[in-house]
Amino acid sequence: MSTPSEKPQIISHIHKSLNYTVFDSKWIPCSAKFVCMGNFARGTGVMQIYEVERGEVHLVKEIEKAKPIKCGTFGATSLQQRHIATGDFDGNLHIWNLEVPDVPVYSVKAHKEIVNCIDGVGGLGIGDGAPEIVTGSRDGTVKVWDPRQKDLPVANMEPVEGEARRDCWTVAFGHAFNDQDRCVCAGYDNGDIKLFDLRNMSLRWEKNIKNGVCCVEFDRKDISMNKLVATSLEGNFHVFDMRTQHPTKGFASVSEKAHKSTVWQVRHLPQNRDVFMTTVHLFFLYGCRCETDGDVDMGVAGTLNLLQNITLSTQPIASLDWSPDKQGLCVCSAFDQAVRVLIVTKLNRV
Amino acid sequence: MPLLVKDYSWTQTPSSICLTIPLKRANPRKVDVFATDEYLKVHFPPFLLEVFFSEAIDDDTSVAKIGNGVAVLTLRKKEDRMWEQLTIDDADKEILKSIRERAVLKAQEKSAADSKTRAEKKQEENKYTLEKMMKIEEGQRNNIEKLKADERERATAELEAWKLQQKREAEKEEARKNRQTQEQKIQLSYTSQLSPTKNTGTAKYQRKDCDKKNLAPLPAPRAPCTIKIQFTPRVFPTALRESRVPEEEEWLKKQADARRQTSTDVSALNDLKEDERNPDWLKEKGNKLFVTGNYLAAVNAYNLAIQLNRKIPALYLNRAACHIKLKNLHKAIEDSSQALDLLLPAVADNADARMKAYVRRGTAFCELELYAEGLQDYDAALKIDPYNQTVLSDAEKIRQFIQGSMPDHLAPEKNM
Repeated sequence: MSTPSEKPQIISHIHKSLNYTVFDSKWIPCSAKFVCMGNFARGTGVMQIYEVERGEVHLVKEIEKAKPIKCGTFGATSLQQRHIATGDFDGNLHIWNLEVPDVPVYSVKAHKEIVNCIDGVGGLGIGDGAPEIVTGSRDGTVKVWDPRQKDLPVANMEPVEGEARRDCWTVAFGHAFNDQDRCVCAGYDNGDIKLFDLRNMSLRWEKNIKNGVCCVEFDRKDISMNKLVATSLEGNFHVFDMRTQHPTKGFASVSEKAHKSTVWQVRHLPQNRDVFMTTVHLFFLYGCRCETDGDVDMGVAGTLNLLQNITLSTQPIASLDWSPDKQGLCVCSAFDQAVRVLIVTKLNRV
Repeated sequence: MPLLVKDYSWTQTPSSICLTIPLKRANPRKVDVFATDEYLKVHFPPFLLEVFFSEAIDDDTSVAKIGNGVAVLTLRKKEDRMWEQLTIDDADKEILKSIRERAVLKAQEKSAADSKTRAEKKQEENKYTLEKMMKIEEGQRNNIEKLKADERERATAELEAWKLQQKREAEKEEARKNRQTQEQKIQLSYTSQLSPTKNTGTAKYQRKDCDKKNLAPLPAPRAPCTIKIQFTPRVFPTALRESRVPEEEEWLKKQADARRQTSTDVSALNDLKEDERNPDWLKEKGNKLFVTGNYLAAVNAYNLAIQLNRKIPALYLNRAACHIKLKNLHKAIEDSSQALDLLLPAVADNADARMKAYVRRGTAFCELELYAEGLQDYDAALKIDPYNQTVLSDAEKIRQFIQGSMPDHLAPEKNM
């Protein structure tokens, strides 16, 4: 891994300029298509489906909605249905069938303010248990929804009455290794990271990382909690070893300041959970060990290894999604109204 | 004064002159030979030899050998001719001087021209090397580009192949599903003719494993539950950034200091403790006293705080509330009015405080039976927050009272 020809290369494969601000882009599972979500300048939301064909993308379908769409996920649908769950600027959560996008399959007014982030679990053949969607919003609440239950969230993490509310910027599911267990991790703009256990309906762990938290992600949703990466403003990100929780010190972590400014997204490679990409450097976490600290176990997060980096645009890259079907293929969208498909090579040698 | 050398000897051939100069024990290294085409100077201190040639020589190709106590100069002639004599004829001082000057000038020009040619040559070489480097780097870059393009080609090809495979698999699935439904239909019709046996699914689903989950029942949705959380406190509405933390702390400190120091000229306060000089602390104390019902003490606390800092509207507001409890209604009205004055300009931030001020003043007016003014204030409060139930109901009561339909009661409920 020392010679330059052995390192993974990040190659910009396709670059497509769009005429709207794109906030999120996600691959449609089991296909070579992806969805871009954003809003037109006229204030309406849009979802566009593109297909990758022979070095180019072409537009398959364009769906326009009343409110701008901020985020979406395929995490909670089955592989046959492939419905996308989206959150919009008005606080609504909708689940759409992309073949018939006129009427949502499920819809609820989830929050009073914009839905900043969304995640789904239980679908796509990954993990056990009921499909659930979690949304986090600027009104400071994090709510978990079950598409089979209308109007009422299954879980609601909200601030105590009278407390000032902080924006929730990111949510992620994890620890979903059987029917009952689930964990939701939420990151807020005042640097708080909170881990909720849905089985006991309690707060399991919280920490403040001194910078607003932009993105959290577990390395796998469907295994017992292993690693959690949290990225923040000021170019920092932290990797927590979630296997052992010390009663007072919490989870062990390693952190790195690798960028000059906000790290907007982190995504783990679906095929290798030790590799993750922060926009847009590619990182590799090597080896998480567990040490015993006296008679209480304490985890030791391993070491980080920067594999490769690339500058794609002058504007921040707001969203990143690995293709679950083809290793190394990913789609990213930036605030310069462009969506790019990247290929990362030599990942099987990492 | 240098000593002139006279004991030199010379011989000549048609093309050159050989000049031999005894060096008289001078160090060969210290011999300085200066020659142009019509003048020669050999200087080895303290001796000096000057030769003014009768005809021109070519000083570029002439050679001087210095060693062994003699200096032998081989001077090439410009024209191949035997010279009558070595030096020119008359030795007019002026002529000699001009020849010397000319010689010096010529030597300077020559050296200037020399250095110029050398500089030009160097530049040429630099340019050449630069171009070479650029070509090499260009080559390297092209290599990398080619590698990348190859990767892209390969990845695209793989993607296409994968897509094709997916399509084919999907088609196969379709075909198999159709066949299975056919089979099932046939089987159903067959078994329905026979005794109704259980139609155990002979259709083995050999699809991807995920489908098996479809057959397994999903767990029921969880029971709805709420988790209450608390945030790390933060004064500013913006996100927390480490690099801004020192600035924010400084701002907060300045705010706190400003609130402390507006009236430190009150000399009677010299015997107060540090705490009691802080209007914020006094306000907290006053609030606590109000809650426990000790209104007089609360008023004292607020008085002191106001003495320290006249510009905090909250102090007047709270004092107004105390006065209402103590039935000092005129004072209450004064305090609420002062609070309202301090709360200009009317922005969203102090909407809360302004509403409280209006409500308290309204209450005081109503206690004094000045219901019209009271209603005005309640209406103003409703303008700020039209959805407040208590204020709405109170305003209703006052209205009805004014219209005379409610004979008894009612100071409206005191909502502080």
